[in-house]
Amino acid sequence: MAAAAGSGTPREEEGPSGEAAAPQPQAPTSAPGARLSRLPLARVKALVKADPDVTLAGQEAIFILARAAELFVETIAKDAYCCAQQGKRKTLQRRDLDNAIEAVDEFAFLEGTLD
Amino acid sequence: MAERPEDLNLPNAVITRIIKEAVGSPGWRVGAGRTSRQRGSGSGVRVPGPGPQRYSPALFSQLPDGVNISKEARSAISRAASVFVLYATSCANNFAMKGKRKTLNASDVLSAMEEMEFQRFVTPLKEALEAYRREQKGKKEASEQKKKDKDKKTDAEEQDKGRDEDNDEDEERLEEEEQNEEEEVDN
Repeated sequence: MAAAAGSGTPREEEGPSGEAAAPQPQAPTSAPGARLSRLPLARVKALVKADPDVTLAGQEAIFILARAAELFVETIAKDAYCCAQQGKRKTLQRRDLDNAIEAVDEFAFLEGTLD
Repeated sequence: MAERPEDLNLPNAVITRIIKEAVGSPGWRVGAGRTSRQRGSGSGVRVPGPGPQRYSPALFSQLPDGVNISKEARSAISRAASVFVLYATSCANNFAMKGKRKTLNASDVLSAMEEMEFQRFVTPLKEALEAYRREQKGKKEASEQKKKDKDKKTDAEEQDKGRDEDNDEDEERLEEEEQNEEEEVDN
């Protein structure tokens, strides 16, 4: 008699991992809070290249310059803001900046450049 | 078109953000909390203007209340930052030339900071450099890993193809044997 073929037998798989479905590698992570530099490196690079004496600058150098510029902005803004607070103002104005430049030795290189 | 180096301004929006976060704001409200120069309904649309791109003051509304910066102050700080970069580059270049190198590297910049009397920047900059190097290394490894996995996958797929064909043959044989057994039983 015709016997029902063992068609009910489930097909045996080698196991779900038969296809070497390795876990997807994570996309290069840049943790959201850990952005290393906010200023665009391309603009900093353009500034560096503007110096006729400079031949080449490495990527790390550009990065550090960008980061240094950020630190500089933070520093000078804080110093200028102190002047504003003394004047009981909450808006930073140009004169606060001028005062900070005059008061702080490190900012001497800025004298005459911002006009 | 000859551009003065100082014209290579850094983006205003970024400068503003850095200033505001530096000065901080323990959450006091200032009047309307908005600059008086706000135009329109705060759409944050880029306003076309001559020279470097200008951003509508409405972008300020996204930033912490309590601190405001006049346009003049912000653009002066932005220019100061550009001058700072130019000055630092020039100093760093001197160090590179002393070392008979034509390429500026990170240590030249760090030396320049000390020369410019910004020693307090040196430590945070070194930390930032470490983090940057780790990130670059990570990116490189990630892309190499991706490539390896891709190759592995292609190899594995080819192997599986061969294995599947073998399996099919085995199963057919199994089924035949079962059929034979049943027939014997019936008979």
